[in-house]
Amino acid sequence: MNHLTEEQLILHHYGEAEGRGLIASHLQVCESCRTRYQALQRVIEAVNTLTVPPRAENYGAEIWRQLCPRIARTAAARRSDLWRLFQWPRWALAGGLALLVLAAFVAGRFWPQRGLTTGPLTETSRRPISRQARERVLLKEIGDHLERSQLALIELINSKTNGVVDISLEQSLARQLVDVNRLYRQTAARLGDAGMASVLEDLERTLIEISNSPSKLSSTELAEFRRRIDTDDTLFKIKVVSSQVRARERDAARELAGKRS
Amino acid sequence: MMEESDAVAVAKAREGDQDAFRVLVERHSLRLFQLAYRMTGNEQDAEDMVQETFLRAYNRLDRFESRAGFGTWLHRIAANCSLDLLRRQKRRGDRERTVEFDPEEAIPMILSEAPAPDQQLFHAELQQKVESVMQELTPMERTAFVLRHFEGQSIEEIGSTLGAGPGATKQSIFRAVQKMRRALEPVMNASS
Repeated sequence: MNHLTEEQLILHHYGEAEGRGLIASHLQVCESCRTRYQALQRVIEAVNTLTVPPRAENYGAEIWRQLCPRIARTAAARRSDLWRLFQWPRWALAGGLALLVLAAFVAGRFWPQRGLTTGPLTETSRRPISRQARERVLLKEIGDHLERSQLALIELINSKTNGVVDISLEQSLARQLVDVNRLYRQTAARLGDAGMASVLEDLERTLIEISNSPSKLSSTELAEFRRRIDTDDTLFKIKVVSSQVRARERDAARELAGKRS
Repeated sequence: MMEESDAVAVAKAREGDQDAFRVLVERHSLRLFQLAYRMTGNEQDAEDMVQETFLRAYNRLDRFESRAGFGTWLHRIAANCSLDLLRRQKRRGDRERTVEFDPEEAIPMILSEAPAPDQQLFHAELQQKVESVMQELTPMERTAFVLRHFEGQSIEEIGSTLGAGPGATKQSIFRAVQKMRRALEPVMNASS
């Protein structure tokens, strides 16, 4: 057998050479090839000096912390993509719904009384939507809006900075949220829910600030954003109000179900 | 409590259970980082690749076939992400730099472990040489070599990741080792 080529030796080391038995036998009898093979093995062994920087014990949890808002956003985008297949854009729909709900609230203040004064012609089919049903729709929409806003802020404050960070995506989302937020804030104020109106006002200010800022932020500017959001406890307040809204929505649903049964 | 298997967690994650996906992320992050670091040679790039891999995996969960292990599938995605990055960097010329041996960097290591300073210095020099030659490999050579040498993948598996046949895959590994040998042998011979 001729001397082994370098390719054969390399592939033999990794167990990928053809005729492995023949190569092994040759290496036993041919000192020249054996010496070359041993030198090659030392070189390949040296590659193991390449060390990987260690990670903290909670590395997986840290990755999840950074990944979570992106995953949630992907899931939300997937849902809205599905929605968009047969509907208007979600922001337009949310805005439209807000207007409808607002109109329903305003109208609801007058219709029932008028119905009562018109005498015996009040039929079940002509009854306006009940207060509980309207409230439930509004709470559901506000809850969704608060969750979307919370997600947008989390995404922004978790942005990675390598000198400059591009926030154009977050800005476009913030612009959509501002319009809807304004309607909800006005509705909350009109209904005398001062706590809700105040949180929505804070949120609106933050969203407008994001919408109007440059689309590329330096790490200092982003840090300033983070600091302001932290100082104002904006995220915390949204979270608290959001869970209150969800609880009220559940109560409204139970009340509605109780009335129907 | 018994640890949930990957297959169960994947099934739940497909149903929209984000907590199940969190289990998978926490379980596989470290090994993915090791692969990504060996592929990219840069901590920040490796971190980005880990996140990119999980995002891609999340978006393609419905395409995962459970007859392949979830870890294997993730590693394949990570290798592809890293390969894409290496190709982009190569096009931009980002990786044209070479790593030069800097004795000052090796000094703290030598001082901290006094017994064999010559050996330590040699080890540090060798490590930097390996890093340097790894950067000189083409994206395909580096990917094939890392997957074979560190991950122990078969030629067939590597070829499927690279989108190359067995011949081309073997050639990539062969060329990578050949470049290693040419760069490392002078250092190793000088020390002996």
